[in-house]
Amino acid sequence: MRLHAGICGSFPRPPALRKAFDDLSEDRIGEGEFKRILMECTRDVVRLQEKAGMTILTSGLLLWHDLFRPFTRGLEGLEAGRLIRFFDNNFYYRCPTIIRRIRWRKPITREEVQEAKKSSRELVKAIIPGPFTFLKLSENRFYASEDELLDDLIEALMAEVGALKDSADLIQVDEPSLVDPELGRAERLRGVDIVNEFLSRLGIPSDKVVVATYFNLDPERYATLLDLRAGLHVDLKSTPTEADLALREHVFDGPILSLGIIDSRSIYPEDPREVVYRVKTYMDSISPETLIFSTSSWLDYIPYNEAVRRLDALGRILAEAEVRFI
Amino acid sequence: MSYTLPDKLRTTVVGSYPYFPEAIKAFQLRKRGDRGPEYETLVREATKKAVMDYLDAGIDILADGEQRREDMAVFFAEELGGFEISEPVRIFDNVYFRKPVITGKICWKHEITVEDWRYASSLAAGRPMKVTLTGPYTMFSWSFDKFYGDMRGVILDLAEAYRKEIEVLARAGAIFIQIDEPALSTRAEKRDVLVAGEAFEIMFGGLDNVKRITHICYGRLERLFPEIMDFPIDQYDFETKNRNYELLDLLKEYSFDKELALGVIDVHNSRVETVEEIMNGIARGLELLPPEKLYIKPDCGLKRLKRETALAKLKNMVKAAGRAREELA
Repeated sequence: MRLHAGICGSFPRPPALRKAFDDLSEDRIGEGEFKRILMECTRDVVRLQEKAGMTILTSGLLLWHDLFRPFTRGLEGLEAGRLIRFFDNNFYYRCPTIIRRIRWRKPITREEVQEAKKSSRELVKAIIPGPFTFLKLSENRFYASEDELLDDLIEALMAEVGALKDSADLIQVDEPSLVDPELGRAERLRGVDIVNEFLSRLGIPSDKVVVATYFNLDPERYATLLDLRAGLHVDLKSTPTEADLALREHVFDGPILSLGIIDSRSIYPEDPREVVYRVKTYMDSISPETLIFSTSSWLDYIPYNEAVRRLDALGRILAEAEVRFI
Repeated sequence: MSYTLPDKLRTTVVGSYPYFPEAIKAFQLRKRGDRGPEYETLVREATKKAVMDYLDAGIDILADGEQRREDMAVFFAEELGGFEISEPVRIFDNVYFRKPVITGKICWKHEITVEDWRYASSLAAGRPMKVTLTGPYTMFSWSFDKFYGDMRGVILDLAEAYRKEIEVLARAGAIFIQIDEPALSTRAEKRDVLVAGEAFEIMFGGLDNVKRITHICYGRLERLFPEIMDFPIDQYDFETKNRNYELLDLLKEYSFDKELALGVIDVHNSRVETVEEIMNGIARGLELLPPEKLYIKPDCGLKRLKRETALAKLKNMVKAAGRAREELA
């Protein structure tokens, strides 16, 4: 079993970038200067991950206002709508509003992934919102049927993944709606079918794709997720008792398992030795080729300085695991 | 000066009012650590203007407009023991806020709201002045915990701290004491509701000389039932207009018979509700409760509205309550 560590998705924007966003919107700086700061901050965030011992890196998704925004802006047929609470977080996303036929025009996230790749020798993971979550959290004002919508959405997301193939070592498809407690079992099963269809059309080996779920996990939901034909990321911190039960009750034999064992919504200190001890107790029921120690979800929910501490903890967990697991 | 409250359909507010320029300037001073005479003068000026607007609208039970509080959680975190304030955390787009961080055992250190209540009361022309406190569950939910590692421990210690504040307020003569718990309806898991119930017992248990109020809004209010009805609360202040009064059907189902502060003004919409529209809302409330148990108020605090809009909405609300009273006479 190969061991890795890496954050689930975004990293909080460094102070300089927060200021650059404000400066750009107030016309105090131009697009060129903004981009220079953005790329510099991306390199800094990549270096931070590398320094902390991460072996799978992300660009930090520093330009992303939320899970959908670069796509709402980059794809044809969409616009950013009203602010909506993102699951149970004190964090809001702008609802992707579908006003015309969805089409992919040009690479949306490739530049940031390339920048991450250039800045590090470690593996780089690219992130895209999954089709099921996109469907559930958007507002359709154009398509007469959901199937037509999904068909175009999947085509567009496939084109984006195609554009990332050369720069990303791993693709993460974010699907938090697959574990949304507000959805019933039938809807979840349909979600898994949609994601599987997307994965099969992508044509990427299952050991190069991870479907990421977060904010919830219980045995019933986990059992459903095991039907996904890809690697899997699960959040072990948001519903810890139920998640613990899930991992013990069901056998995972997929290629990649990413365990969200550092809480990305809390700053309560984590003891790396305790975390590794806990993960070791799952070994009877998990046997992936690749095990990734990760944050439970994106790191946007905590301040920058605390996210740096979380990275450090994750690095120490990997170091501890390399000793304990061998 | 004394004021006789109407015996039915009393009007009130949830608490906050649009910030006056003096309040904004006071926040800037406070952020720099300057809480000297200039800061106090600015807060008092802003408070005075908020109270005057509430009086101008004709509200029966007032509040101080929360002009001292830039943020309802950070304000209390800065005054209680056991908290620090975090670096900025993103809330949406590139908008950030500072979040309280629990770094030690939470405790009550000194009076927090009493002086503001006294000052606002002195301006109220004899009308009762409500005090609002950000509840323990909401404080927990909107803070990071670095110390307890246990939701219940945090919430119960916060409740103990608030109990001291409430006792001081009661001794000073405050009657209307409201615990704001907007976060309680966000997740609304049963275990969370039960812990919140324990906290209300600590804060309000055995107090019979005050009107014990809780304000809860948005989110999944329906999930708080039926447990919430056992809380030691005299008056439930809910957001109802925004959800087209559907909550009233649920209250009916549970034979709700406590006092209800009925939200009849949408605070997230700048359109000023007509008197007739508000009267229709009041009529919905009267299908559930007698007018003596029904208080009329906006869905939530008014701070996100423009002052002119907030005032116009309140004036129509008071007119509507007055006409509804006449119709009942």
